[in-house]
Amino acid sequence: MSLPLAREDGIIQKINGQFSNNIKQTRIIRRSRPEITVGPEKIREVATFLRNELGFDHANGVSGVDYNREGRFEIVYHISSMDKKDLRDLVLALKESTPRTAPKVPSLVSVWPGVENFERETFEMFGILFEGHPHLEKLFLTDNWDGPPPLRKDIRFPTD
Amino acid sequence: MTVPEKPLPVVAMEAAQAAQSGPQTLTVSVGPQHSGSGHMRLIVELDGDVIVNASPDPGYVHRGIEKICELRNIIKNIPVIERPAIIDSSNLNHAYINAIEELQGVDPPIRAKYLRSLLNEMNRIMSHLYWLSIFGVFLGHTTMFMWPLGDRELFIDLAEQLTGARITHSYIVPGGVRRDLPPGFAEEAVKRTEYFEKRLGEYDKIFFNNPLFTSRSKGVGILPRQDAIALGCTGPTLRGSGVDVDLRKDEPYGAYAKLDFDVPTRKECDSYSRAYVRMDEMRESCKLIRQIVKDIPAGPIRRKAPIVLPRGEAYGRVESARGECSFYLIGEGGDKPYRARFITGSYRNMAAIPVLLRGGHLADMPTAWWSVDYWPVEADR
Repeated sequence: MSLPLAREDGIIQKINGQFSNNIKQTRIIRRSRPEITVGPEKIREVATFLRNELGFDHANGVSGVDYNREGRFEIVYHISSMDKKDLRDLVLALKESTPRTAPKVPSLVSVWPGVENFERETFEMFGILFEGHPHLEKLFLTDNWDGPPPLRKDIRFPTD
Repeated sequence: MTVPEKPLPVVAMEAAQAAQSGPQTLTVSVGPQHSGSGHMRLIVELDGDVIVNASPDPGYVHRGIEKICELRNIIKNIPVIERPAIIDSSNLNHAYINAIEELQGVDPPIRAKYLRSLLNEMNRIMSHLYWLSIFGVFLGHTTMFMWPLGDRELFIDLAEQLTGARITHSYIVPGGVRRDLPPGFAEEAVKRTEYFEKRLGEYDKIFFNNPLFTSRSKGVGILPRQDAIALGCTGPTLRGSGVDVDLRKDEPYGAYAKLDFDVPTRKECDSYSRAYVRMDEMRESCKLIRQIVKDIPAGPIRRKAPIVLPRGEAYGRVESARGECSFYLIGEGGDKPYRARFITGSYRNMAAIPVLLRGGHLADMPTAWWSVDYWPVEADR
């Protein structure tokens, strides 16, 4: 069964038209699941464009992924639109990568206030710094946790 | 500087201090010993009895489920991912299986899809009833504590007949479901939902139309529509602010595309509207259960599915009792996920709690806060 992907193609074309040189990769995983990869230096501009021009006003979540064999962390913002009814089923993945040795990316709290807690969790679980975050503190881990960021792939616990 | 001959009375000293240093606030810690349901802490800053600021401090029931999932076989993970919300386990289970099946390219038989939706709706009612009973306790209404917990047994018994377990069912597996409908289930389900709908009318009379409740909830804890969207709220919290979003309609999964139901919303954006959206949802769920047992097609309930997670990414999501529950799964061809990102409704709605409480009175805190149905265990995972 193949359904037309006109909406997903349209979104990707608009992004490519606006930021042609800065988009590293785009793909459509399946219907309703487009994906855009940008560099951390441009992500805030792309995010603002997505929110203001394309109607993506709602953040579903932020996920950190540790690709330790490639020496990088990937940060994935899943965003969607509440105002545009024809986009309600669509979840766009906005991705960026940062080197594992000095993980630092700009915070998107100023674009989507809802990502505040997610970025705090990604900070404590992976040790990624979000520049411009209003209070980048631990969220779930206890205050006296002084171990390494626990969701990194090289962290193993004795019971593993 | 003149020194008073005798010390000022304490009241006068406090008044003089307050006049010197401007408004003074008091910081109060609510929790973490079961401040509501589950262990979490709210740090509330008060000026008199007005809440100036409130910030949630979660993490007291954090179990590291995402890490656990990376270390275990995808099938062994099913009971683990149910644990964060045992009152709503099948919806969490369904989100996980949606993501797995998307990666595996498995389409379950149609009868299995109906059975999944059937259990999801029973779980939705069970979860809303649990929430309602705690809401009753919060407001000192003992009857509203006893009745929903008693009526919840109607659906727990039904779920036990269907799945063999009362609350953590582990019923939904890749490729289908574990068990078929037992004999006599349809008649029993119709009887119980019809009885329960009458009970909902009695809830209205004793609680939702009761001035003791309405005066404490109407106009309390306002969450404006735009704030609810921008903060990433979901589920009944978002629908109580007038946004008619429901994944069962917007991105139908299970059997929902073939079923007829409404999405209740309310525009008042206050605690009462968030609470009443859940009452209406329970009515819709009763209708859905009756439709499912009437329309369910015959056929197999399970199809063979591989035990490995193919290479790739999938974002599976369902409408759970507290809103969107999503799994972002990354597979690398083995039997364990490379990454299992698990985001639940309570985690997302946590961002709304400071907005709801700010500017309100401390005495209104239980109403405003619990109208979000924040389940700490589900948020911490």
